Amino acid sequence: MSHYGTGSSTARRDGGTNGYGTDRDYQNTAVYASTGSTPVVSFVNVSKTYGSLKAVDGLNLDLRPGETTALLGPNGAGKSTSLDMLLALRKPTSGKITMFGSDPYHAVKSGRVGAMLQSGGLMPEVTVRELVTLVTTLHPKPEPIDLTLKRAGIDKFADQRVDRLSGGQTQRVRFALAICGKSELIVLDEPTTAMDVETRRLFWDSMKAEVAEGRTLLFATHYLEEADQAADRILVINRGRLLADGTPAEIKAKAGARRITFHLDRADEQFLLGLPGLVNVEVRRDFVQIQTSDSDATLYGVLDAGLRPRDIEVTGLGLEQAFIAITAEDDRANGTEETN
Amino acid sequence: MGGTLALTRAELMRLTRNKRYFIFTVLLPVILYLLLARQFTGKVYGVSFGAFYMVDMAMLGAFSGALNGNAIRISQEKKEGWIRQLRLTSLPAYAYVVSKILVSMATTLASIVIVILLGRFYGNVHLAGWQWPVVALTVWFSATIFAALAVAIGYKFAPDQVQPITMIVYFSFLILGGIWYPLSGALKTVGQLTPTYQAVKIGTDIIEGASVSMGLAIGLVVWLAIFIGLAVVAVRATAETV
Repeated sequence: MSHYGTGSSTARRDGGTNGYGTDRDYQNTAVYASTGSTPVVSFVNVSKTYGSLKAVDGLNLDLRPGETTALLGPNGAGKSTSLDMLLALRKPTSGKITMFGSDPYHAVKSGRVGAMLQSGGLMPEVTVRELVTLVTTLHPKPEPIDLTLKRAGIDKFADQRVDRLSGGQTQRVRFALAICGKSELIVLDEPTTAMDVETRRLFWDSMKAEVAEGRTLLFATHYLEEADQAADRILVINRGRLLADGTPAEIKAKAGARRITFHLDRADEQFLLGLPGLVNVEVRRDFVQIQTSDSDATLYGVLDAGLRPRDIEVTGLGLEQAFIAITAEDDRANGTEETN
Repeated sequence: MGGTLALTRAELMRLTRNKRYFIFTVLLPVILYLLLARQFTGKVYGVSFGAFYMVDMAMLGAFSGALNGNAIRISQEKKEGWIRQLRLTSLPAYAYVVSKILVSMATTLASIVIVILLGRFYGNVHLAGWQWPVVALTVWFSATIFAALAVAIGYKFAPDQVQPITMIVYFSFLILGGIWYPLSGALKTVGQLTPTYQAVKIGTDIIEGASVSMGLAIGLVVWLAIFIGLAVVAVRATAETV
């Protein structure tokens, strides 16, 4: 199994069918997402090379309005480069990015995108309030400053100087700069880095409030739990290519949602590979480990063949294992086993 | 333009909190002027020492303010990603550089006015009414040239490199330009090509009532063109990494 495809199913976990969430939320969406089902963002065959390194390699994807999408991948997968190109900070070597029907530069300059970058810095020597006020003033569709401070959870230290904040506080100020205007798309690059668990939870609470207003959200992360909990849709990228695209449940299923292990004398790998639902199999002497998308069918297949394995264990796989399985498969297919 | 001005306002607010900047831009020339303006008699560049030293110290504070503070700040703000953050706003691409230059102009003007007032009331400099603003504007324009150089250095080099580089550039223009000690002899053949010398000499020529040499004025414009050229190259070269 070397190919996971790029399924295009987009079922939302909240069951909404209009792409905007529930009907109640829909009332609040008039300001945002007026483009129907036209993609907010689309990447068409986008590549970026630095010398001989292909950071992004023929990326194709669409973001639909109102959707929360996680861009998931290991370090160096091309997440930041993709976001940089989306935000017009870097130019693609080839391919085309469209945002709100225009090019990224004009979309950014018209205030339709609010972004929080890992590499984004803050102006020192001013207070948090002064900085938020400045960036709000620069936004074509500003939100009230006090509202932004409150939403980002930084109103308590609004009069402290920016250069005297902790790492987690700094992250929240950056977040404030991303939401200080009525931007339709919010882009966050590893937003909860340097936040403790409690701050992280508060962060996602306020983020969900932003999304409930109908904004489209794209965030890059390597916290799988975060992608699982916050995103409607996950894009798994590795080596600059899109490996999987679907709901968290679909991503887990693609990698084989369950693992079956047992002991079996003279296990025949060829036979095991033919079992229903099977995604991956590993045989070490008499120990067999199977990843499957349908553990019942796989196990019945073993029993129906008259085999009687011992010490059977069936475990559900989290997104983390799914993610590792998908990227490891990709690395194997490329003949370069991950060394770290 | 409104956004650029909002940024400029915020930059000015920051600067009022930066003591180091004021020590070099305002305090140093004021103290030197008070210490030395009355210690020498005789003429320098055709005018009284008090008048020469007034132009000289105005230039010292102004060009130091435009060069030193800016180069280091720009380099740090580039490294820390503030310039990048600004690119995500609706500000036009040039706004950051323009606001830095406007802020330099505002602060150097303050330092120039203070030194010139000292010249008038402490250094016994007596000029015709029109001469005051013309001298001030000459120094102001000449110092602003160095803001362009600061942009070039700040974009091109990392913060830890900027410190020694600006110091070398600063002292070169200070000593070769005769700001530290008036130029004469062999040093003058090289020194008269510097914008710092050209600015001070135009100032003293105006005070003397002599006709200002075209060569000096052309010299300043050439330096401006060189520094702007370097700045444009540096900014363009970092377009994808800022």
